[in-house]
Amino acid sequence: MNTYVCQYCRQPSDASQRTCPLCGAPVDIRETVSDSGWVEQPPIRDMAKLQFGQSHCQIAGTTVPVAEFNLAHAEMVYFSHHVLLWADPATRMQTMSMRGGWKRMMAGLPLIMVEAHGPGHIALSDNHPGEVIALPLQHGHSMWVKEHRFLCATGNVRYDWNSNDVWYVTGDQDEQETHYPMGQFGDVFTASDRPGLLLLHAKGNTFIRDLRQGESLLVQPSSLVYHDMSVRVHLHLEYPRNLGFAFWRSNWDYRNILVRVTGPGRVAVQSIFERPEEMEAIRNHSYATRRRW
Amino acid sequence: MFSSVEAIQCGWCKAQNQPGTTTCLTCGAPLDVRDKVSDSGWREAPRLRDMTEFRFSASTCQVEGELVPVAEIALAPQDAVYFEHHVLLWKDESVPLESMRTAGGMKRTLGGMPQIVTVAHGPGRIAFSRDAAGELVVLPLHPGMELDVREHAFLLASHSIQYSFVRIKGLANLLHGGNGMFMDRFVTAQYPGLVLLHGNGNVLERTLHPGEKILVEPGGFLYKDSTVAMQAVQMALKTGMFGRHGMFLAEMTGPGRVGIQSMYVHHGTDE
Repeated sequence: MNTYVCQYCRQPSDASQRTCPLCGAPVDIRETVSDSGWVEQPPIRDMAKLQFGQSHCQIAGTTVPVAEFNLAHAEMVYFSHHVLLWADPATRMQTMSMRGGWKRMMAGLPLIMVEAHGPGHIALSDNHPGEVIALPLQHGHSMWVKEHRFLCATGNVRYDWNSNDVWYVTGDQDEQETHYPMGQFGDVFTASDRPGLLLLHAKGNTFIRDLRQGESLLVQPSSLVYHDMSVRVHLHLEYPRNLGFAFWRSNWDYRNILVRVTGPGRVAVQSIFERPEEMEAIRNHSYATRRRW
Repeated sequence: MFSSVEAIQCGWCKAQNQPGTTTCLTCGAPLDVRDKVSDSGWREAPRLRDMTEFRFSASTCQVEGELVPVAEIALAPQDAVYFEHHVLLWKDESVPLESMRTAGGMKRTLGGMPQIVTVAHGPGRIAFSRDAAGELVVLPLHPGMELDVREHAFLLASHSIQYSFVRIKGLANLLHGGNGMFMDRFVTAQYPGLVLLHGNGNVLERTLHPGEKILVEPGGFLYKDSTVAMQAVQMALKTGMFGRHGMFLAEMTGPGRVGIQSMYVHHGTDE
């Protein structure tokens, strides 16, 4: 009986291999944990292979890794068209029908999702230094993923997206602007009828934390990569203690816009994140906690 | 105590370490590898091992990751660090934040310098990272040292280090130099301290003798001792019979250290 469970993808795996056949994480290394409890996601070894269905995926490169698929007959993956690196002519490609085109366009989400059907070879890569993260999903399991982190998923993983409900409004009456620090929408992937594989691309290094029930942490909104659906997220505004000097430095001028993530569940962050937007007074916002020092 | 004969001197920060240690307790540099120095005298900044820990004052810093490293600080109760607010990756809820008084607000605004420098006080944990692949450069400063750093390149500094900024003189610098208008200046008074920089790509350092000059691509400049003079010089380039182009470089004149980075990235997100 196989009792080995991969510590990164949390699936029953094969300890006799050098790398987990489901997620590519090295099997023969010790877990790297920071003093505060963040587990560093080990990069997938160059040329490691992941198995899904009758197909497999090979990860090539370590700085900007490429996911190269050998698709079996009647199996397929889907991806956003801009991550396609190369494909052999035998691979049949077609667009995937998606709902909410207007909303997706307004939110800056990719409009065109492409399906690649086997048999054939196809390779995908993002264009930033970072890591490919493989998340095998068990039947019925869902995962929230921040927008633009998605690389591809197998055909049996259902793709959905919903509002993050983390926002704030700046500007005057006539020129109000709504900001979405972790994106307007989040991607939600669910293994519908059988297990599936989800591949993400995270920029920089990736760190995972298992939050206990009720445990919370403040993180940069744009650093999020994925989290379990059980993790709750809301806006958190933190105002450093104001020493009361120059007139243009009112309280809003040096606030920190963070999100509070509350367990239980897994949360993953990447070490590259976007710079916070220009600071203006917040007129309105989604549910938020505040701290004034 | 260990004798000075047995002690291992760190090749990067020159601190003395106990025999048998594999990483410097002051700057985290590996002690069991040889310095990498190019034929022309540029020394590679030590690549810090994943999860390396080092100390400053009563606090510790742990470096996590190697592509875009994160500096995770465990602040002791009496300690503090300051940083530009946009490098904060995560923090414990209990870590108090405070804005730092920075002189010359209008000048800083016009020069594109951060108006907001935030101070985090201990006890508690807080982590920082920047937005490009590169490496952390740990620069312990002894009393009386002055260090000039390219604007927006510093990740954090310990509270015992005074923070100000200096204007880079010369219109050519301002218009063509690519150095920016100001540099951050870190000065230690009577207590030692620590400055952490993030260099894009790889970081190399060279120590110039008095009067020795070196020309550096302005975008690659990262830090220098304040004793090193910097000015923009124009290199005239002829292209064909009538073509003439100017290329501006930063001329550094010793004595002191000069640090450069191998990749120049515009300071902004491309997403």
